Amino acid sequence: MAGWRRVIARLRSLLDNKSAEEDLAREVASHLTLLTDDFERRGMSPEEARLASRRAYGGVEQAKQAHRDERSLLWIEQTMQDLRYGLRTLRKSPGFTIPAVLTLALGVGACTAIFSLVNAVLIRSLPYGDPEHLVYLFSPNPSLKIPAEVICPSYGDFYDLKREAKSYVDMSNFEQAQFSVAQQGTTQRIGGARVDADFFSTLQSMPELGRTFAGEDNLQANTKVAVISHSLWVSMFGARPDALNRSIQLDGANYQIVGVMPPEFEYPFKSDLPYGDSDIKSTQIWVPLALNAQARTSRGIGNNVSFARLRSGVSIHQAQAEMAGIMARLDKEYEADPRDADAGLTREWGALVESFTGISIGPVRPLMRLLLAAVGLVLLIACGNVANLLLARAAERGRELGVRAALGAGRGRMVRQLLTESMLVGVGGCAVGIVLAVLFLRLLPKLDPGNIPRLNEASLDTRVFLVAIGGSLLTSLVAGLMPAIGTSRMELTEFLKSHAVRASSAGHSRLQSALIVAQTAMVVVLLAGAGLLIRSYINVESVDTGFTRSAVTFHVSLDQRYSKPEQHVAFYKDLMAKLEALPGVQAAGSVNYLPLTNSESLDFIYVDGFDNKDHQQTEGRDVTPHYFAAMNIPLVAGRYFTDADASATANRPVIINQKFAETFFPNRNPIGGRITGDPKRARWWTVVGVVTDVRHTSLEEEPQRQMYHASYDAGDASVAVRSTLPPATVANEIRVTLRSIDPKIAATNVLTMGDMVSIATARRRFQTSLLTVFAGIALIMALVGLSGLMRFSVNRRTREVGIRMALGAARRDVMLLILRNASVMVVLGVGLGLACTWIATRLLKSFLFGVGQHDPFTVVTVSVLLVVCGLIAAFVPARRAASIDPMQALRTE
Amino acid sequence: MPIQILQGTLDLMILRTLATMGPQHAYGIASRLQQVSDDALNLNQGTIYPALIRIEQHGWTQGSWGRTENGREAKYYTLTKAGLKALDEETERWRQMAGVVEKLLAEEQ
Repeated sequence: MAGWRRVIARLRSLLDNKSAEEDLAREVASHLTLLTDDFERRGMSPEEARLASRRAYGGVEQAKQAHRDERSLLWIEQTMQDLRYGLRTLRKSPGFTIPAVLTLALGVGACTAIFSLVNAVLIRSLPYGDPEHLVYLFSPNPSLKIPAEVICPSYGDFYDLKREAKSYVDMSNFEQAQFSVAQQGTTQRIGGARVDADFFSTLQSMPELGRTFAGEDNLQANTKVAVISHSLWVSMFGARPDALNRSIQLDGANYQIVGVMPPEFEYPFKSDLPYGDSDIKSTQIWVPLALNAQARTSRGIGNNVSFARLRSGVSIHQAQAEMAGIMARLDKEYEADPRDADAGLTREWGALVESFTGISIGPVRPLMRLLLAAVGLVLLIACGNVANLLLARAAERGRELGVRAALGAGRGRMVRQLLTESMLVGVGGCAVGIVLAVLFLRLLPKLDPGNIPRLNEASLDTRVFLVAIGGSLLTSLVAGLMPAIGTSRMELTEFLKSHAVRASSAGHSRLQSALIVAQTAMVVVLLAGAGLLIRSYINVESVDTGFTRSAVTFHVSLDQRYSKPEQHVAFYKDLMAKLEALPGVQAAGSVNYLPLTNSESLDFIYVDGFDNKDHQQTEGRDVTPHYFAAMNIPLVAGRYFTDADASATANRPVIINQKFAETFFPNRNPIGGRITGDPKRARWWTVVGVVTDVRHTSLEEEPQRQMYHASYDAGDASVAVRSTLPPATVANEIRVTLRSIDPKIAATNVLTMGDMVSIATARRRFQTSLLTVFAGIALIMALVGLSGLMRFSVNRRTREVGIRMALGAARRDVMLLILRNASVMVVLGVGLGLACTWIATRLLKSFLFGVGQHDPFTVVTVSVLLVVCGLIAAFVPARRAASIDPMQALRTE
Repeated sequence: MPIQILQGTLDLMILRTLATMGPQHAYGIASRLQQVSDDALNLNQGTIYPALIRIEQHGWTQGSWGRTENGREAKYYTLTKAGLKALDEETERWRQMAGVVEKLLAEEQ
């Protein structure tokens, strides 16, 4: 306590030096006056008394200086000395300084980069007010075999909830939508949302300019107003404030712009909704959700997303319990929608309340944890390396430190000197590390898997900086403390006896070997993890997708001018014919949902002659006849569709996949088999063909049962074109063709199926490449450490080697001696690492695909790799040991 | 014969003086020490400043400006609670130390 107070008092006087000096001068003057008074009282003349008081007082300046010395912060001066000395010695030994700083920089750089990523994704808040209180409301139904976070309460149920629920401050509904925006002769599809009046207030988001919606905007369907995003405001209106008085043409209708949202607000993001429209990357425009009275009370499944803001103090559990109560009552009150009931859907809508953050960040949380764990290991290895280098250095400097101790340097002072040096290394490592992190963050978006929310926002902010600085200082402190304490504990007399230096450094070398073993073990864990991920990635990449990757695809969406089915059919027939007439094009066909687009349509089915169960489902797709040829989906039995199939009215033909055939037509020929969606009406479909399985939902999920209908009737569709020409040429021809049919219809999302596969594997590629990079960094660091230790040990044993050689040891024996030493450490490390891997890979289980967590191939490869690399790292010092001249070696020391 | 002050003992003497005399200025403390030691302490009056600042920084005293009986201004040092406690501890330590030295010297004779 008193010690601290003294430091604080000293600091204060340092800051307040002037007043302290004045105080001192005043006190000294007063002292002299009192002395003089006293002498005068004893009968001296004033002049004599003055002189006598000076004599009695002693030197005024000395007294002041003594006071000042005591007052000032002596240790600041000493620290400056330490720093200067430390810098000088570090500069004199680049062989130590450069690897130490670089190792630390790599560790800190990797750690900082990953932390800033985690910071952006997990820690930094969403761009809404108080996001912790925002929740989605879902109503799962036990008769639907789909994830619970897909269906929100119907509008009717939602407005009943809104009236009765006490858990929420605000509740809102919206529907995602795409709009065609006409601009300077071209048409663009942009993502938007139809939102109710409470949308912006529930999110607590304010417009940057103008206003959001008032209640009447939503009630009156003919009020055409829109709020636009900041980026649309910039791109379409050049960020001019008079945009508010202008209008924007959406799907052919004029909407007046009433507000502009701030730059970060583009909700709903694609990645924020669990099963959102995957074509909408971000929302650029918001228009009122105009619901008539009938729609507001509808109890059927809608496209709406419902969310709410919890009243403060209300937990998600309480809100869910309340919602469950209300939904149960509504289930009793209302009959199931007759159309749903026919399909076997009962009115049993449950309640599920989930936090915004849980929904948008939940899926990437394990990945973030994995990356943090990996980067933590990298930092630990860096720490071990720096400690090792410092230990080696301390041992090499034993004599110097001994001399300093003999000259009277206190133990504390020497520990401080060593710590100052390791802190300097820490500061250097931190500085270089932050530069590396910045470079790394520049590269990171290039790896963007596209489904990590807010990845682009990863940047260095204060929090990240504090972590980087704290991390590197802590590392250097911990790494520096070991040798510092070890060194200061040595006895002074031992220092001065030359052979004792070697004796005492034996302890050092044991500690160093232990560090190498531990590092090797950590590298094994990292390499094994990376190896398993690489194998999984290769497995995913080589999955048989069931379609060709060369097909060029695009999306078209017909606007209100095409309202009748005949118009749809005419448009798509025309489009397909024109596309297939293009030179180089082999086939063109459309489908309502392409594979791997995160869109799903499920049909309930009933198969004639099969022991049918309730709620049998299949993936269902509407395709034009040449879709299979365009996607190169091979036929197994029967035939493909013809144009006549698309217009058939009775006994409509369907094509099923192999999985479907195996499930519902075991031991019988599926061709000619009959299927229906509605056993009561018994309008049968006839199976005319069987095609191979296609991975619709993801590459990592087994293909499901699939059934295809032939149809040209679609408002929205994705078109696939197979051609021998390069994709860019095909894309160009597609645009020209589309313009020739209708210049107001745009082709969006022009991608090859290969691009889609690449997007689908992006997250896996992301995590695999990051972990591989970290494992590589760790491996290099550990090898540098091992090589350094061996070099040090060779130096230390020069004399011993000299004696051995003088006694007739061959150079080969000497080399083997050193290599054996190294391999013992590496093998021990590999063994320990494999044991840790056995446990650690359990955490990796959810990231693996087609490979066991204890995959022997990976384990063996990693072990061999490490042993070989370890021996290579030890080879250079070993060769140096072998080239020692015995005569010279004996003369050393 | 003038004697040299043992390191650290000056602090103790100052604390003791303040405890006995109450708030006192540097001159008063120095005079008192000289008086008590019958001029045996070869004390330059200015020597006590480092000790005074050290004691103050420990929080054992608090300084404030006041006037002497003769109307001169001077900085008065007052013992704090922590100062009193420190005095007890330092006294105890000194006694132990002195006892050990005394015993040792007695044996040698």
